[in-house]
Formats: sequence, C-alpha cells, structure tokens
Amino acid sequence: MKKYIGKRLLHLVGILIALSFLTFLLMYLAPGDAATKKLNAQGIAVSQEVLEQVRTEMGLDRPFLVQYGDWALKVLRGDLGNSYKDGVSVAAKLGKALGYTVELAFGSLLLSLVIALPLAILTALKQDSLLDYLLRFLSFIGNSLPNFLISVLLMYFFCVKARLLPVVAERSLKGLLLPSAALSIPMIGRFLRQFRAEILEQMSRSYVSGAASRGVKRRYILYRNVLHNASITILTIVGLQIGTLMGGSVVIETIFRWPGLGKLAMDAITARDYPVIQGFVLLTASFYVLVNLLTDIAYHWIDPRVRPE
Amino acid sequence: MKARVLSIVLALVLLLSLAGCGSKAPAPTQAPSAQEQPAAEAPAAPAEPKILRLAESFAYASLDAHKDWNGWYTSIYGLTETLFKVGDDLSVEPLLADKAETSEDGLTWTITLDPNAAFSNGKALTAEMVVRNLQRVGEVNARFADVKDYVITAVDERTLTITTPVLYPTLITDKLTNSAFGIMDLDCEDLDNAPVCTGPFQVKTFEPEGTVEMAKNENYWNGEVKLDGVIFYYMNDDESKLMAMQSGEIDGYSSVTAAAKEIYSLEPDRYVLTVIPGTRLQFYVLNQNRLSANVRKAIDLTVDNDAIAAFLGGTVSPAVGPFGASAPYGQVTKPAVDADAARAAIEADGYALNADGYYEKDGQVLTVEICFYYARSLDTIALLLEQQFKAVGIKAVLTGVEDADSTYRVTGEYDMALYCMIADQAGDPYFGINALFRQNSNWALGGFHSDECEALINELESEPDADRRAELANQIVQMAIDDDAFGFIGLFNKTSVAAPGVVNIGENSPFDFYGVSAESDMP
Repeated sequence: MKKYIGKRLLHLVGILIALSFLTFLLMYLAPGDAATKKLNAQGIAVSQEVLEQVRTEMGLDRPFLVQYGDWALKVLRGDLGNSYKDGVSVAAKLGKALGYTVELAFGSLLLSLVIALPLAILTALKQDSLLDYLLRFLSFIGNSLPNFLISVLLMYFFCVKARLLPVVAERSLKGLLLPSAALSIPMIGRFLRQFRAEILEQMSRSYVSGAASRGVKRRYILYRNVLHNASITILTIVGLQIGTLMGGSVVIETIFRWPGLGKLAMDAITARDYPVIQGFVLLTASFYVLVNLLTDIAYHWIDPRVRPE
Repeated sequence: MKARVLSIVLALVLLLSLAGCGSKAPAPTQAPSAQEQPAAEAPAAPAEPKILRLAESFAYASLDAHKDWNGWYTSIYGLTETLFKVGDDLSVEPLLADKAETSEDGLTWTITLDPNAAFSNGKALTAEMVVRNLQRVGEVNARFADVKDYVITAVDERTLTITTPVLYPTLITDKLTNSAFGIMDLDCEDLDNAPVCTGPFQVKTFEPEGTVEMAKNENYWNGEVKLDGVIFYYMNDDESKLMAMQSGEIDGYSSVTAAAKEIYSLEPDRYVLTVIPGTRLQFYVLNQNRLSANVRKAIDLTVDNDAIAAFLGGTVSPAVGPFGASAPYGQVTKPAVDADAARAAIEADGYALNADGYYEKDGQVLTVEICFYYARSLDTIALLLEQQFKAVGIKAVLTGVEDADSTYRVTGEYDMALYCMIADQAGDPYFGINALFRQNSNWALGGFHSDECEALINELESEPDADRRAELANQIVQMAIDDDAFGFIGLFNKTSVAAPGVVNIGENSPFDFYGVSAESDMP
C-alpha cells in the first residue's frame, strides 16, 4: 500500500508540472495581460507608454519560457508569488478562499447526502410506485436547473419573501445555509438517481433473494448487505463530487458573497493574474488527485479484495 | 467491523435526514423591520446610531489611496479627500486647499491649504505632508509617473508650490481632484488597512476585498458629520443587490440595472431612484482604412441613438459628442437619422440592392464587421446596430471579444469598433480628446487624422482659458463627427437607488468616485 501511495504521489508531481505549464501557456496565449487589465480597470484608458512600462516592471515582456521558469523556480522554493492585481501573497489569498470553499463544499455535500441517500433507498424499495416516479421527476428538474436560477429563487423566497435568512450573509452557519442549499439541489438530483440505480442493482443480485428466502429480515439485508455492497459506488460518486466541489462554484459564490476559490479563480482569470491562476490550478489539481487517492484507499478498506493497482 | 462502521455512518446520515424531516421547525428568527418593531413600552432608549448600509460592486485589497485604483473607493467611503474636488455641476471647488494660483509663465502653481484641514487623529494638515503625498503617488502609481518630473516644494506650513516641466493648465482637474491623490497621514503605521485621512469617516473594520465599516470622524475639520457610520458591503451581483434592497438589508447603491430600475419604479414609496447623466461614454470608431467615406456617412446617418437609449431602458442618455450636452465643451451637432440619405450615400458608391435586401457591388455584399466586447451593454448595442443596418441594406457581421484592449483596438482589425470609456474624468475635455483623436491615440489605427485637428489639440493642451478650451474642444470633436470617423452613441446615466430619507450618498455627482460625505444622512 505504501508503495502504491508513493507511486500515486509521484504521479501527482507529473500532473502538476504538466497542468501548470499548460495553464501558463494558455494564459500567455490569451489576449490581454495583467498590466492592461490593471491599468484600464475603471474604463479610463492609459497611454501605450505607461502600459509598456508596467509590463516591464511586472516582467510580462519576457519570453514565455523565462516567465514560466521563473515562476516554477519560486514554487520549488515554496513561494507562490504575489498577485499581479494587488500585490497580496498568493498563498494568503488561496488560504482565505480555501476556508470558505471547504465550508461550502462540505456543507452542501452533507446536505445532499442527508437528503439523497434516504430518498434513494425509499425510491429503490418502492420502485415504479407513484412516489418513485415523482421523486425521479423532481430529481430531473433539480439536476437540470441552472445554479444561478436556483440561487436567485432561494434568495427570493427565503430572504425577500419569508425573511428567514439574510441576503447579506456573513461567514456563519446561517450564512452557509442558502449557498449550500443552492449547490445541493442539482447534487441531490444526481445522487438520488445514481444511488437508486446502484441500490436496485444490488437488490437484484441473487444474494438478496437467497437471504430473503432464508428468512433474513429485509431491513437487515438492506443495511447489512445491500448498502455495504453499494458503498463502493457511492464512495466513488461522492469522491468525484468532492474533487469538483473543491474547485469552487463561481456563480453561487458571487451571488451569495461567499469568497471561495471559484470566485477567486474567476477574478484572477479576468484580471490575467497569472500567479493566482497558477496557484489555484496547483491547489485544485492536488485536491483532486488526493481525494481520488483517498477514495481508492477507502475501497480497499471497505472491501479488502479490492487491491489498489 | 468495517461493515459495522460503514453501516453506522450510513445510519447516521439516515437519522439526520429523518430528524430533519420529522422535527417541527423552530419558529422563524426573523428580525423585525424598522416599521414592524413594537412600540417602546420601556423607558425611552437612547437614539439608535445612524449606520447607513450601502452596496458596492468592487472591493480592493488595500485602502492605500495612492496605489492602483484604491483611491476611487477610499473617496467613495468618505475616508480620503483631495485638494480640490469636482462639483455636481462639473465645476472645480477647493476642498483641502483654499486656493491655487499660477505664476506668470504658467509653470508654477502655488497651492494654499485650508487652515482648518486636519486628519482624523487631530493632526493638522501641513504643506510638507501634502508634498510627501503627491510625490508618493508619482512613485507608487504608474498612471501618474509624470509627477516624478514635477518640483514640489513646501513653502511654509500652509503653502506649497508645484512646478511642471511644461505648461499644464489641467493640473488641478487631472491630478489634484483625482482620487488617487487622496491625502493620507503618511506617518500612519498601516496604510493598507487603517490609513488615517482627512475625510468625514474613518476606518472601523476593513476586510480586504470584502466588507468595509466606517465610523464617524469625530474630529472632522469641515463641519458636523450627520451619520454615525457607514457599512459598505461588497456585492457584485445585480440580483443580490436588488434583493438586499427589497429585504431592507441595504439602504442604497448606484449602477442600478435597467431591470432593477423598472422594479424599483413600481414602488416609489419604498425606493427613491436618482438618474443623472454620467460621464461613461459608449461610442464607435469607423475604420477609414477599410470603409469608404460614403459608407461611413451612411452608417452615421443610420445609427439611431434615441432608439438604442430607449431599448436600454433609460440606463443611457443619447449622446451627440463625447461629453455631456450641458457642458460648455459639449456643444456639437450631428446629422439626424435619415435612412433615405444613408441609402443615397451607399448608392453613390455604386452599390445596388440585391434580392435579399442588402446592397451589393461586383457580387460583393456590403458588409460591415462590428467588433465589440461583452460589457457595458456593447453586446446589446451591436445587436441593435445589426438590425438598424439591415433596415438600410447593410449587412453586419458581429465579432465579440472578451478584451478589446488586446484585440481589435490594438490591431485595428475592424470596420466598426464599439468601446466604452470615461471621456470626462473631471470636468475638462482634454483627457477624452487626447485619448480619442490624437495622432498617436488609442484609436489612431482607425485612420482619423487631420493636421488642423492635431494643431487644435496641441493648443488645447496648453490653453489656460476655460472658454477658449471649450471652444477648441467643440471644434475638435465637430471635425471628428463631420469626418464620419467617430460616432457617439450614449452616455451612461448614473442611476442610484436609496431608501426614502437617505440623501447625499453621491447620487447627484456624475462621477463614480464620489460617495458619502459629511452631509450624507438617513432617517
């Protein structure tokens, strides 16, 4: 297992090098640079002379490989650099945004699991009933509604109409509720369908009918066998979702004033703030790989027959 | 064992969900609004502090007014003040300064400070501190690097001189009213997070790129501050601002969208809308290297600014020139929309209408590439122009980009380029004229050039007399209009909304960088 983990971590280094190079290249090739964005920020154009001077100061006039190499060397020394936009340390910016993103990711994940898992069991047990059709229909709707619409609708009903929650939410459990709910609704739709399909798959296996014919209680079969066997698939789905959630959600973070990684990345892309973009890519790629690694390890823990390769 | 742990985890998740479904929801903890609060039965409590809550679309990582665009916001927050300010009627008024005089050769300015001007810590404002501030702006802000070439000297406690290397009649409007030149106590320890300044408010709490809380400056040198504090929430989503206003969580904001304006206007008792002409200009440049004079003329005769402004729901006012029509330097004319005259101009170039209703010559359909970027309603304008062009027989091809400053503006690859900029920075036409019409300006690739125009711009650059400046500006702009080189579509209105009784939050200034003041008030 140790060898396996070491190998996966080594892969991570390769992934990070490739991703950071590719991102740097794409940003370099994209029209516009940090100097233009910074100086023209309020719609007041500056002269070409000033622009060139700032480009030189920022080192943006250097060849691509020199810029990338300079950045990479700093990273190897543990320095992610400073934001081109405002000079603040990239590590500090990522650290602050990461805290918000972790809270939102886990808040929404918990909410989704708490709702989707029991409903998936219920719909599987009552397959093809009216309730099953209704919940599957609702899951379609939840899954297909765009985030911004869900966010605005939630805000309208809970903040403007019912006045239960504030629009101007601060970082608190109360402030976390609506953004988590907005992020959860499509996730619940997806989870419900995927979990239900897996539970049904397990319930159709012969070990279930065998146990039932031996007089084992249905509830016991469900919790002891079906859910246990479905857990690897459930874990895979959840693991992949955690990786995605850690990238942040621009729309929800913007609407709910939740300054997480998604908004930070979007602002950095708009401002062509290369050091922040690169830092974001390194962080989220690492998360994705590590979450997948942990998921693989968990497979083995749940079912020792599954050996990580 | 593992199966048991897993089962427990799953069971817990189930239990949580059942608890959520089954338990009775607690009574809502809704905070009563001001109107709903019960009448006080207890002895009269002390008056509630007057804390205004406003939303801002941008937030910066530092309050150091001299760096980047931070000064724009420290000015809005009522934290920093400049030596002079631009009034609501575009006139320049002294603020921290008492007066300014120029030497006979026009190169040296003598600025006298207001004897009462002081920082919020009680320290008097001295000429020496102002000199340090002006010099620092030149050092830390690339946009004002030319300040490093000025000789700035403190003559005595209240007087300083600024000598520029060349004649610079717009020093006050360009620099000394500019929010980047906001005065700070440079001996203060933390200029980024808690600068000490002269404005009516001082920093209470500052969250970089987040909420900013200001408290009343008890030592304000220029009169009594009516509010006890102001909170600026960073909200850059229009829907969120609308709903925060509807739920009563904020008291006002500016840059109201057309959709939100319509909603607010339905309830005039709850929302006070203020719409005034602003200085942010939507315009187009016609590429003289790619379009003939007749086609350019036809385009100018086709573009219907009134129809565009009407479609944009009152967020812009139709423009004739780059500056507001009420300014003395905004007195220019343009031909009225005339589809027949437009068609005649195209036909004079040898074009004839084809079966599809488009003009065609030598098998080539008359096509105009309209380049635009996705901001400031330029994408909507491009679509409207496409329809207007179609009506007279011109085919439009739309090319949208994310960033004009790195694409069509610098490559010159456009027939018609749409752009938006602040043309009037501080009540003077030179900045806009220099940016638009100069031989080496940002738009020189559009091909507009006239020696006469260049000479007039040179004269404007050093002309001290305001009347003559206006006259020159009008001549220059009229030349560009008559040459069908530029078209000025609209000037964004500054649209603000506030709760009833909330006044003087910058809603009457055409500029975006003025916000709360000592006169700001709420019920």
